[in-house]
Amino acid sequence: MKKRLALGMGGLAAFAMVASGCAGGSTSTESSAAAASAPAASAAASAPAEAPVCGGSIAVMAPLTGGAASIGQEQLNFAKLAVDDFNAANSSTYALVESDTQLDAGQASTQSTSIVSDSAIIGVVGPAGSQEVSAVGPAFSEAGLGFVSASATNPDLTNGDNPTFFRVVPTDAVQGPTDAEFIAGTIGAKKVVVIEEKTDYGTGIAKSVADALTAAGVANEVIAVPEDKKSYDDVVSKVGDDVDVVFVTFQVAAKSEQVAQSLVKSGKKAVVFGSDGSFSGDFKTGGSYVSAFAPDIKGIPAAADVAQRFSDAYGEFGTFGPPVYVATQSILQAAQRACAAGASDRAGVLAELKNTNIAGSILGGDIAFDAMGDVNGAKFYIFKLDESGAPQLVQ
Amino acid sequence: MEYFGEQLVNGVVMGGVYALIALGYTLIYGVLQFLNLAHGELYMMGAFFGFFTMTALGGPSASAVPVAVMIGIMFIVAMGGGALLGVAVERFAYRPLRNSSRLAPLISALGVSLFLQNAALLLFGARVRLYDTGQFIDLRSGISIGRIRIDPTEMMVVIGALLLMAGLWLMVNRTRLGRAMRAVAVDQDAAVMNGIDVDRTVVWTFAIASGLAGAAGVMSGLLLYPVDQYMGVFAGLKGFSAAVLGGIGSIPGAMLGGFLLGITEALVTGYLNPTYADFIAFLILILVLLIRPRGILGRPAIAKV
Repeated sequence: MKKRLALGMGGLAAFAMVASGCAGGSTSTESSAAAASAPAASAAASAPAEAPVCGGSIAVMAPLTGGAASIGQEQLNFAKLAVDDFNAANSSTYALVESDTQLDAGQASTQSTSIVSDSAIIGVVGPAGSQEVSAVGPAFSEAGLGFVSASATNPDLTNGDNPTFFRVVPTDAVQGPTDAEFIAGTIGAKKVVVIEEKTDYGTGIAKSVADALTAAGVANEVIAVPEDKKSYDDVVSKVGDDVDVVFVTFQVAAKSEQVAQSLVKSGKKAVVFGSDGSFSGDFKTGGSYVSAFAPDIKGIPAAADVAQRFSDAYGEFGTFGPPVYVATQSILQAAQRACAAGASDRAGVLAELKNTNIAGSILGGDIAFDAMGDVNGAKFYIFKLDESGAPQLVQ
Repeated sequence: MEYFGEQLVNGVVMGGVYALIALGYTLIYGVLQFLNLAHGELYMMGAFFGFFTMTALGGPSASAVPVAVMIGIMFIVAMGGGALLGVAVERFAYRPLRNSSRLAPLISALGVSLFLQNAALLLFGARVRLYDTGQFIDLRSGISIGRIRIDPTEMMVVIGALLLMAGLWLMVNRTRLGRAMRAVAVDQDAAVMNGIDVDRTVVWTFAIASGLAGAAGVMSGLLLYPVDQYMGVFAGLKGFSAAVLGGIGSIPGAMLGGFLLGITEALVTGYLNPTYADFIAFLILILVLLIRPRGILGRPAIAKV
């Protein structure tokens, strides 16, 4: 009996160790290619005529566990794919270092300390959230470490306080007016309710949209909700029968679907319009709208191969993953250029990041940064969900 | 007035889910004076069991069996799976610590909670799953009284919660197993001397409480749609709060606490601001406990002198 109990406890403990391995807050290393923590560059001494084999570590800061783990895992997997593709194409040995931020500024700050102290890390993909970028910005600036976010959209992040920060997505200052113009003009809404999720992302986009709606003469009311809210029936009850559009600012598309279904069952005429955080197969109520910082990449010829291979390897994806592929590419290309120039340290990579120019990216255009670190010429696209829930590009 | 009624219905429905979770907490605490802090994770696993059963039966839009049968099977699998998981947790994580200090099983429960969250992440992935109830239940049907609409899933949650509470009350007060549970709750040594198998009684307690958590998980999925590995954290906290508010150890108290918590949240959301809902709900909880430390329907502990 005792032996069986011991075996059972042992099995449970072993499984717990395996399971908890994916939940840790500390930095763990995962090699996507052959080498794990290769030096920045090493030329084969015996073959001076050959090109140097470039490599180095790139940290990925994402919410790998916690409430936004679905976003973080998608981002991590796109980063893995980018590194694998790049190493295969360039015979390089770049590797990823995973850093779990749990979409929490405090956790991101803690993680930034260990990233800065790891001299093998020459660039950072992420963090995902604007509040996290604010938290890690000072440490990365001091360390001269370039970091590229694929989803932090608060306009204030590129005001000069974070000189080593770049992003591959347009800001809320672009999204808000684009969405508001469409709601006022194309949909012809007279009254709008904005559901503001109380996060840096939700607050920023809600303010941007509400301001633009007011400027366009559309009556609007902002209802703030906590991030951990589970049911939205009580919020939908506050939506009047004369409201035409409910604009939602969630980062998890399933919540937008909850609101849309709640409107359907309450018999209200309002349609849901989701910000880019809602661009996912989980948001599928026909007649709804959603904006995104790229057209559906499955429809972009340059992205079709990447989208297919990602789906084959990791399953379906939403809007948060593909920009990570591009963010990772920008660091890898900068590192490769720095390596070729013989300056493959953090300073070299940072200097080359400013010269980023990815022609025909999977996001549907060229990627280059302006002097403040924002991506040049980025715009938002708007989709209407058809009866099957599939997004159809309408602007 | 209709708006008030609408928010009242919203509160009662969410309260039903809280109440079902609270029943599990209160049953285990009532028998063992032990807080099973992993109860929220059993609720989460129940929601996943229900979701995967639905998928195995063809999914929400193409069920291989009639919808009522599919829902019935989802409940059976979730409750059965939850019960088995609860028994396993009791056997390996709690029983070895039964005679240790009160803190040890509490820490073990926290460990089980984290273990189950991460096991779900590992086994099911990080992607949020949706029940898509609207694809197999006409959410516009049900009862309408003016603006107030009660859809079939809302009716199912409230009626189901009341039936399960009644069944649990009858089981505890009218059956041989219930008598054994009450005896173990009063004095485990005396129960043994009277021929009661304490281990067996405790196993049944965990099985029933965890089965209720599984049922609550499916109800939550049908009502709210999203299912993810962290859904049990906050729901567990709400269920625990409902149990404490109503008087932990009291079955009607758990129901009352759940409904009160749900209604308070809905009314605060409706008339004040959704961001104040938790603040005011927990403020009320604190005030109630200051005035009546054992909760609304809790009985004062009798200490042997």
